Amino acid sequence: MSMTENKNDSIVERVKENPGPAARWGAVMAFLLLLEFGAIWGGIMSIPWDVPVKGLADVLPAAIGGVVTGIGSVFADVGNAFAEVPTLLERQWIPNRGYHVPGEGWQGTFLGLEPAYAWLIRLTLVYVYAAVTAYWAWRGYMTFRRHYRYADWTPADDMIDRFRSHNWGRFGLIIVAAFLVMALFAPAVSPTTESQNMTNPYDTENSMVKYYNENAGEVQEVTAGSANLASKSRGDRQNFGLWTYDKYDRFHPFGTLTTGKDLFTFMAFGGRISLFIGLFASALAGGIALSLALLTSYYKGLVDLATVLTSDAFSAMPRLLVLIMLVTVLQEHWISDIYSGAFLLAFLFGIWGWMGLWRAIRGPSFQIVENEWVTAAKGFGDRPWSIVKKHVAPYVIGYLLIYLSMSLGGYIIGAAGLSYLGLGVTAPTPELGRAIAGGQDLITTKSWHISVLPGVMITLLVLGFNALGDGIRDAIDPQSSSGDSSGEAAAAGGGA
Amino acid sequence: MSRWTYFAKRLVLSIPVIIFGTSLTFFIIYAGPIDPVTSILGMGATSEQIQNLEQQLGLNQPLWEQYFQYMVDMFTFSLGESWVIRPDVAANEVILSYAPRTVLMGALAVILPLFVGIPLGFYAGLRPNTLGDYTASFTGIVWRAMPNFWLAVIMLMVLSSSEYWLFGFNWETWIVSTNVAGTPEMDNLLQPLNFIAAVKVVLPGALVLGSASMGNEMRIGRTAFLEAKNSNYVEMARAKGVPGRSIVWKHIFRNALIPLIPVITAEAGVLVGGSVLIESVFGINGIGWLFFNAMARGDLPLAVAMMYLIILLIVGLNILQDFLYTIVDPRVGFEGE
Repeated sequence: MSMTENKNDSIVERVKENPGPAARWGAVMAFLLLLEFGAIWGGIMSIPWDVPVKGLADVLPAAIGGVVTGIGSVFADVGNAFAEVPTLLERQWIPNRGYHVPGEGWQGTFLGLEPAYAWLIRLTLVYVYAAVTAYWAWRGYMTFRRHYRYADWTPADDMIDRFRSHNWGRFGLIIVAAFLVMALFAPAVSPTTESQNMTNPYDTENSMVKYYNENAGEVQEVTAGSANLASKSRGDRQNFGLWTYDKYDRFHPFGTLTTGKDLFTFMAFGGRISLFIGLFASALAGGIALSLALLTSYYKGLVDLATVLTSDAFSAMPRLLVLIMLVTVLQEHWISDIYSGAFLLAFLFGIWGWMGLWRAIRGPSFQIVENEWVTAAKGFGDRPWSIVKKHVAPYVIGYLLIYLSMSLGGYIIGAAGLSYLGLGVTAPTPELGRAIAGGQDLITTKSWHISVLPGVMITLLVLGFNALGDGIRDAIDPQSSSGDSSGEAAAAGGGA
Repeated sequence: MSRWTYFAKRLVLSIPVIIFGTSLTFFIIYAGPIDPVTSILGMGATSEQIQNLEQQLGLNQPLWEQYFQYMVDMFTFSLGESWVIRPDVAANEVILSYAPRTVLMGALAVILPLFVGIPLGFYAGLRPNTLGDYTASFTGIVWRAMPNFWLAVIMLMVLSSSEYWLFGFNWETWIVSTNVAGTPEMDNLLQPLNFIAAVKVVLPGALVLGSASMGNEMRIGRTAFLEAKNSNYVEMARAKGVPGRSIVWKHIFRNALIPLIPVITAEAGVLVGGSVLIESVFGINGIGWLFFNAMARGDLPLAVAMMYLIILLIVGLNILQDFLYTIVDPRVGFEGE
């Protein structure tokens, strides 16, 4: 508010002038992030860094290539060491894995509680932490707005206020946030570990399950893989449904799969993959659509015609069919190995996703370019690139966000559909579509949960993103109607 | 630019679109890392066999020559022969034998939402912000968010134990006795009973396939109707004393149809793509099933031929859409530049 002296000060200088609020906010934020320091590093390390490093090493001459891989491995070691730093929300603090000894109660669980409650406590803690961090990030924006922004008011303030009073949009935001937290904290929220459930269930070091054997009268150990064999959901004969324990005292909030694996863990990690595909494909498609919209609205004429043609040509090939074609063709190719094929899927969804988005934002960007301020900037002699970046793009991005949010659901559904057919993300990496396919024959039996729950999760996720898109639209442009057909077409799931 | 010049321009522009799509298909299939010869002969083929086959299929020629040959073949509709699914049968014959089931299902999937989605949307638009409007809108939104193939799985469950779920209503014996899933019998469709039986088998699939577009049509129909209702010309007509029925049908309905045209034609891509999944859930062996199997088993000419026909179909529908626009909306060609 008192920032009238020099409007050209950078944000750093403005913070220096009045460091109090920023320091207070920063200290709390740093504390919150420090609690999860190890997990953040774990996230950074889980990106397949070896792919670009290896690629680089292959291209370069052997000697330099060796150095590159050497440096890469040093960084990997340091990163892995950081990733090992314990975090607040780790499962070891609130273990839900234990065994019940008659007469002595639960052994090995948090405070000797029943595993279900131990798991619930951990789940609640994760969401509380996420909510506090999200609130604090929002406080950061408010601090910036109150103390460091030189404008008292910007149009974005109105949009945010409109969004805050938009119930449907807030509902979408909460759903999306809940799933994002579930995906980000998948190792912490799931009742069992990734290695036991998916990657190496027969590992004798990390995948041992302790249980009390009644016949022998003592505590015994077995690998998770063999334990899974005895906890298969196979319809009416044997079923481990919602909120049940299996024979090894393992708790399954959503029951087990036909393979005996825990469905909740499968869905949490599967949600990770789905969200990765959705977000990456949206970023790619949105990037292409935005650059093309800026190009066509600025230059018009032939560029526009060429883009119309390209877009028509791409949309003449149904996305799902092209993806089936390309995923089959590239099955043996190394690109299908990155992130178990999720990368290839996300990439292809992005390449075949920009047409609808571009069509949806083409109209608005044409209108924005017609404004006087763009003509004025042209008169000033600004370069085309800086004109579109400064005077056109900020408005177009708003519209783009609406349709991105809606098309994201289409990518998630499409990826699930492909894995239902057995294409795309390969086992053992979880994909929701595969669970639906696996439980399909059991859906009329007691094991209905295998197919139904993943479907409900996809529906909720897509519903959340659609509601978020509606909210953003009403926030950005309250006059606009929701009946924009090209946008709706962009949002369609491609039939999956 | 007059309306018909606009239409002619769109017609000419569709040629490069077809060429681009067909070329892209060629490069994905034949220039990609897939090896057609091993997919025909299997892994244990001798090098002599491989050479013979390459000679026979023309795969030993340079890529550009193959490409040229391929484009000429496609545009003259000599679509080649199937390799694996039905060896040495012409591709178009194979496609024709699978097509009717998908065509029947697709036609139903287009027609059903038209008669459900649009009236519902218009109903909601006529009575905005009432309970009925909210119910219709909310159902449409949730319906749209459900994955089609999952919906199909659920539907399969409900119908196969329909007596339990639908209060004693038995789907399997309703009107004619059929299986819930499976391939419809497509012979003698002219006999009414056979036709009904075939329709009944593909009906669940068509309902699911059409569901996404039904939700879209409902939402767009609602807003279009609302927008037209609140427009100046409707107010004018009302001020003149035009009777309500005439306002609705003459002034609102026709204008509200315009934004619905692209939704209806855009369904084609959704139908073709979605039929792969729906057909595999319901066990109907139609076009989608054929495409998936042609790709999975390496029957490349068949897959390429299908892709080419689908591109033609979609481009044709786009032209139809422009044609409808030119007829329904007199403003076409005057907008923009």
